[in-house]
Amino acid sequence: MKCLIFGYGYMGKIRYRILRNHPLVSAVLVAEPALEASMAEAPEGLLPAGRPAPWRECDAVFICTPNHVTADLCVEALQHGRHVFCEKPPGRNLEDFCRVAEAASNAPRAALAFGFNHRLHPSIQAARALVGSGGLGDPLYLKGTYGKSGGMRFRENWRNNPDLSGGGILLDQGIHMLDLFHVFLGPLTLVDAMLVDAFWNCGVEDNAFVLLRSEQGVPAFLHSSSTLWKHTFRLEIGCRDGYLIASGLLSQTGSYGREQLVIGKRQFEDEALALGNPREEVLYFDRDDSWEKEVNEFLVAVQEGRPSTHGTLEEARRVMQLIRDIYALTGSPTATSR
Amino acid sequence: MRTTQTSPTFPLASVKPLEGLVRYRGYCLAQTRRAMAGRGQRRAHCPVDRAILEPCGAVEGLAYVRCPSCGSLFLADLPDWSAWAGLLAGVSRYRQSPATFHADLVQSRADHVYAPKLEWIRDTLRLQQMDHPTLLEVTTPPSPFTPLLHDSGVCAAAFTIDEMAVAHQPIGPADSQTVEVAVLLESLDRVDDPARLLQRVVERVVVGGLVFVTGLVVSGFDMAALGLRNLYLYPPDRTNGFSLQGLSALMTRAGLELLEVSTPGVLDVGVVQAHRQRDLSLTLSAFEEQLLRANPETQEAFQTFLQQQGLSSFARIVGRKP
Repeated sequence: MKCLIFGYGYMGKIRYRILRNHPLVSAVLVAEPALEASMAEAPEGLLPAGRPAPWRECDAVFICTPNHVTADLCVEALQHGRHVFCEKPPGRNLEDFCRVAEAASNAPRAALAFGFNHRLHPSIQAARALVGSGGLGDPLYLKGTYGKSGGMRFRENWRNNPDLSGGGILLDQGIHMLDLFHVFLGPLTLVDAMLVDAFWNCGVEDNAFVLLRSEQGVPAFLHSSSTLWKHTFRLEIGCRDGYLIASGLLSQTGSYGREQLVIGKRQFEDEALALGNPREEVLYFDRDDSWEKEVNEFLVAVQEGRPSTHGTLEEARRVMQLIRDIYALTGSPTATSR
Repeated sequence: MRTTQTSPTFPLASVKPLEGLVRYRGYCLAQTRRAMAGRGQRRAHCPVDRAILEPCGAVEGLAYVRCPSCGSLFLADLPDWSAWAGLLAGVSRYRQSPATFHADLVQSRADHVYAPKLEWIRDTLRLQQMDHPTLLEVTTPPSPFTPLLHDSGVCAAAFTIDEMAVAHQPIGPADSQTVEVAVLLESLDRVDDPARLLQRVVERVVVGGLVFVTGLVVSGFDMAALGLRNLYLYPPDRTNGFSLQGLSALMTRAGLELLEVSTPGVLDVGVVQAHRQRDLSLTLSAFEEQLLRANPETQEAFQTFLQQQGLSSFARIVGRKP
């Protein structure tokens, strides 16, 4: 299989590394207008700047670009009958996403998947095995915090330009946590939300507080932030018979801390002397293969001529609809185009 | 691979009080000497990596040897396997008798020793998406864990087999049935040929099946601090004192892919503390003395550190047959 990557930033490099080592992939081309072949960081397979996309030379396309070009590239690739793997978010807004969805419906033989790798993180996979019939019982609530600290040049990043990004931290990082809420609770509706642009003043939210409800009435609360001076990923899942706390991420920098899952069992006075302080197990994970799993599933789906099992169109639609609703409810400036 | 930690919530006295242990230990040592009765064969090579074992001292006159490569300790001399099997069977029966501290702490040990092990097995099976597997318990019967295992509903069927028979007797048709899970709770600590036992067990596990192992590891804090003075080190229960590295390597060499290597022990500091209280002349390092004088919060934080960093003396390892 020959693959073409659009964009060679943080995500493009990750996809490139995985594709180069994948047994199903025979060649990897890269389209990145900011790079020239003479540059030290130019990858093997870099296309000359300005060259039209070589659709006929590739079977699958990986879209790793800023949000404002994501949808156009997805649509074009699908129109050429290519299989498409698109990083999150699937466009700047629901309109962008709907254009992609329409193109996908006109290209039924093309596989389409979106990059929601967090659901494949080892702590999340372990949590999925333990909730419900896995021993901890059905969820009573979910509470997720996901945030980063920005940095000295944060304001200049395209992610904070509403014309390019379509939204702030909610669309950038919070979308992952919304996807995880769906993994555990199924379809969600918006109850309330508050967005603020309190520190960075970029015209997009730097903090989002979102209250959601599942179809069974289970509440979920998200805090997505770009003013968490200590990088944080933390998902609490309260269940009938215990609780789980997934925290830390095995990211490249390690700044989110060691990935771990706390497993606690509910114990009342009949089972433990220390009410409210049950014995806990902590699983520590030392390897994140979520990127590899995600790409592998997509490539195998392409090879087998079936839809990808995660990062589906429907899963992407759910989070994009929620984000639209949140921006609309809060009157966010980025909601005006919706 | 992952490591796990268990929050400390119980004292040494509730599961393995030193004074009670000393009486039980005396019986074990006497029975070991009787089983040897001048028939001991010197162990020359480390069962992990075949390195030549070096003398390292004795426990109540019974010599121990050390592997210079992996740091594991082994009782130096062993009689023939049938004598050793008889010793293990006798000690196992004695452990279940009213004469030992185990009898006084049945409920507490069930809550703090065996229930967490069952929970560990149950959770690991869930994480590996194994639903009610067939399970082989490898031990010297009788074992207090056996009825708990049967009542737990963790497995579809549980078989208990004698660890020494597995290691040494020819496999008959009745023994050839494969299982999805094997459990060896401190079994590798006491058998005369741990490498052979593990190999035989792995042969009986299906591809994709799991092997659960627990044991005392001499790389852990209380063992490292006390060495052969540690009263919890004695034959036949602790005939083999693997290091964490050695135990992991033993499992890897048996063809297992390690899913978990953990030291969730909660008693290291308590064990050293108990030794100090029993023997005020015990020589410890300045750091260890400081630790024993520290407040409970400091000691608990240190124990948590040991757990998290693989430095406690109680080890749990899960391997999968690839």
